[in-house]
Amino acid sequence: MSESAPTHGVDISAMEREPRNRHLQDENICLEVKDLDLYYGDKQALKRVNMQIPRQRVSAFIGPSGCGKSTLLRCFNRMNDLVDGVRIDGRIELEGEDMYDRNVNVAELRRRVGMVFQKPNPFPKSIYENVAYGLRIMGKKGRRELDEVVEKALRGAALWDEVKDRLHDSALGLSGGQQQRLVIARAIAIEPEVLLLDEPASALDPISTLKIEELIYELKDHYTIVIVTHNMQQAARVSDYTAFMYMGELVEFGDTDTLFTNPKKRQTEDYITGRYG
Amino acid sequence: MFNDLKQWFGSGKPWVWLNAGAVSTSIVMVAALLALIAVRGLGHFWAKPILEADYIEPDGSVSRIIGEINDSEVVPVERVQDASLELPKGTETVTRLLIKTGNRDTVGLDFRWILQPRIQEKRYPEELMAVERYEWGNFYGYIKEVRKDGEVIASGDNAWPALQPLIDRAAELRDKIKEIEHDKIGSINYQIEQLRLDKRRLELDNVAEGSPEYQEIAEERAALQQQYQGYQAQLKELYQRIGRDSFTGVVMGGQEVNIPLSKVVRAYRPNAMGMFDKIVFYFAKLWEFVSDDPREANTEGGIFPAIFGTVMMVILMSIFVTPFGVIAAVYLREYAKQGPLTRLIRIAVNNLAGVPSIVYGVFGLGFFVYFLGGNIDQLFFPEALPAPTFGTGGLFWASLTLAILTLPVVIVATEEGLSRIPRSIREGSLALGATKAETLWRTVLPMSSPAMMTGLILAVARAAGEVAPLMLVGVVKLAPSLPLDTNAPFLHLDRKFMHLGFHIYDVGFQSPNVEAARPLVYATALLLVLVIVMLNLAAIAIRNHLREKYRALEH
Amino acid sequence: MDNMNIGQHISQQYNAELEDIRNRVMAMGGMVEQQLTAAIEALVNGDSKQGEDVISGDYKVNAMEVSIDEECSRVLARRQPAASDLRLIVAVIKTITDLERIGDQAERVGRMAVSLADADINKKQFVELQHMGNHVRQMLHDALDAFARMDVDAALNVAREDIKVDKEYESLMRQLITFMMEDPRTITRVLDVMWASRALERIGDHASNICEYVIYLVMGKDVRHTSLDQMEEEVRGER
Repeated sequence: MSESAPTHGVDISAMEREPRNRHLQDENICLEVKDLDLYYGDKQALKRVNMQIPRQRVSAFIGPSGCGKSTLLRCFNRMNDLVDGVRIDGRIELEGEDMYDRNVNVAELRRRVGMVFQKPNPFPKSIYENVAYGLRIMGKKGRRELDEVVEKALRGAALWDEVKDRLHDSALGLSGGQQQRLVIARAIAIEPEVLLLDEPASALDPISTLKIEELIYELKDHYTIVIVTHNMQQAARVSDYTAFMYMGELVEFGDTDTLFTNPKKRQTEDYITGRYG
Repeated sequence: MFNDLKQWFGSGKPWVWLNAGAVSTSIVMVAALLALIAVRGLGHFWAKPILEADYIEPDGSVSRIIGEINDSEVVPVERVQDASLELPKGTETVTRLLIKTGNRDTVGLDFRWILQPRIQEKRYPEELMAVERYEWGNFYGYIKEVRKDGEVIASGDNAWPALQPLIDRAAELRDKIKEIEHDKIGSINYQIEQLRLDKRRLELDNVAEGSPEYQEIAEERAALQQQYQGYQAQLKELYQRIGRDSFTGVVMGGQEVNIPLSKVVRAYRPNAMGMFDKIVFYFAKLWEFVSDDPREANTEGGIFPAIFGTVMMVILMSIFVTPFGVIAAVYLREYAKQGPLTRLIRIAVNNLAGVPSIVYGVFGLGFFVYFLGGNIDQLFFPEALPAPTFGTGGLFWASLTLAILTLPVVIVATEEGLSRIPRSIREGSLALGATKAETLWRTVLPMSSPAMMTGLILAVARAAGEVAPLMLVGVVKLAPSLPLDTNAPFLHLDRKFMHLGFHIYDVGFQSPNVEAARPLVYATALLLVLVIVMLNLAAIAIRNHLREKYRALEH
Repeated sequence: MDNMNIGQHISQQYNAELEDIRNRVMAMGGMVEQQLTAAIEALVNGDSKQGEDVISGDYKVNAMEVSIDEECSRVLARRQPAASDLRLIVAVIKTITDLERIGDQAERVGRMAVSLADADINKKQFVELQHMGNHVRQMLHDALDAFARMDVDAALNVAREDIKVDKEYESLMRQLITFMMEDPRTITRVLDVMWASRALERIGDHASNICEYVIYLVMGKDVRHTSLDQMEEEVRGER
């Protein structure tokens, strides 16, 4: 391409090279769900779910309330174990290993699969101690090591510049959006492989929401991210892949661009366009 | 009219008034209670004027009466049953006065009721002197002479100025004697007793006679004996010195009494005192009350051992009940599978709070003292038998009994606190790879600490006011020594102790001198209330601090 | 996803807005069709009055495009449409551009009609032109119909017709060139006819574009810049 070409400095060839649409079959699989059934007592909350979550991509779960998307998410770090009367059939494999195997150390699994919740839930400790919490649990005590990791995690969560002068103040003094980023920092401080986000921005104002979304975008280079959201636009904005769930079933899972412009299933179409299902 | 009333009811105002009425009634009652005990109790320490009067006895003779007016009451004439009393016609009531005449050594009784109309003349001469003594109650009368080694060194008007320095000297010597007797010799006695027990233990362990251990004990014992002799000699000298001075006073009957200064606490002339002197005197007495040991069968002196015992017991109770209750609550709320069984246990725990406290006392006596204490003695303190160590009531068992008594409160409050911790916090911790125990220890328990403190506050309030069970498990009228002292192991859990609540009961109802003791009952009651208030305030301050720390969680 | 069920949103207001946009597109289509018909008639009948009417009527089409565009931006901003709704809006935005172009071309034909009205010219040329005009008008009509009914097959048929129109245009060109060679004096007028036929051919292309948008709208497939065979394959492959 000659210098005088009227491309206004834009490299057109690059635009042609990059495939606009991702394809699930080309990705590395991080989490694999196989024939998953989940029951709360007699009620079946998840029905025959099969899906493959690609590594270092953002996968979003959308669907109406009670469709099982949060339940599925909480299966990925075995949070459902805490609920009485839960029964799970099927397998979930993390990097090829069944995470519901008898020999799995749940605490260790949860270290590999971090989670951020709907409402920011910082501990009533200092900002520093919040981030260092997971490390202390792991028995790390060295002051310098902790300092390093805390700074890295806070930078990773785009919070460092805002809190570096008050690391030892209570985390409860932060704003909602900052608290949520702190919680994300806390989660990434122990360097999990997967980060589960359960409606991470639903309690936040739009600007904080955008900051979180920006953060998610940056984090996907290092982590496999699964996000549950009620906000379809958010799913459309941040995710590479989107799963639509309805009544405990996985209706459709595909790349976000296709799902939001041309979904395969009528139920998906009706849901994302806001029609009577 | 009816409609107006209906409208008034409909407006809800009657209920507001009703509530306001209930609240004000409660406040008035509390204030009145405190005011009553404060006035009755605190008035006792004020220096009252000494009355001198001529009194016509029923047989017609005239006698002189000297004393403080303690009380007065109006009674119907018939009740007086005094035929010789000539009263104006139509008089139906007559005033009688309770005079504290003191001088129990000469007249036998401290108090005397006299009839107002029989009093001839009331005088308040400045020379009248009151002397508080270690024996026989107060002295009221005139000072005549001051003696040193039996020789008169001052008399008449000079006697009073000469007396005061000598009293101070005696007080100083008394402090020294007390230090030697109580601290030094007490400590030696304690060690000798320990040696005796060591020896006994060796015997029980069948260590052969003449083995080096015995030798050691004998040597130590000899050394202690020698020290003891030394102190004994010092004491003897001090006693000699303190017995040097005395004074002679004239009491109301004209009798002369010689009182050694070693028996004198303080001497004062209330009629000659100005307001400022009286205030100083008042605070000195008040300080004595809270800081001194009791004397004269608890009717005089201070109640420091009782305050100390109460606080000590409450603190120990807190130390026992908190971990116990918290652990039980944590298990019930966090680990136990919720079901009929846990519900049953909760009901049982709640009902325990309603069991009369004396039942706990019986339980403490039967289980802790006789069973546990007896066995502990058998196992660990066989050398002291048949004298019991833990096999009798003591601070430890009393605290434990009260801990059991207050356990339900702590359990319920802690459970309440645990159930208020948001699930998201627990999940947040678990999601970071913490185990359940780590989550509990690092986040849930610190966050529910305000609730635990609330439980503890309630427990303290209840425990500090309990008397009945304590009477069975370790409280005594007069404890020879405090449960905390300088002899290893410093805290003596097996010792019996004094308690303000029991002190009130004892002074009020078991005292040989009820009239003298009554103000003390009020004063002690006031003090008990104050101690409980202080303990509560301390706990509330801690709780508020904790609450502030974990404040923002309740959003 | 053959029938686009616009009327089933939870928000009635949203239904109404989408319905409104669609109706306006149909109205605009009708207006453009009318302009085209009038222009062709004016040309064939040599009716300069009618030609003037067509020229002066184009502003209505333009105004319609602007207002539909505005409505579409409004829906995009406020409703953030997804899936079929999004495709509808995108298709509408593109369709009205093409419709407006068709309007412009009709205006051009009208101008030619005015300038040719008084001219002495061989009416034989107009038979061919009229035939082509009718053909194109039918295409436009069918395209709008396909849009209204979301009919992929109808849309494909229209696209197929465009090839025929192109052929007709070519043969008309040859004919006109022959005329010009025969009688150079007519060149000016024949050129006008040529322009008119060129405009009709463009209208055919635009109608064909509209059909592509219909296929995109219904099936979510972008079939622009592909051959007819590929297009058919895409559409059939989906069934």
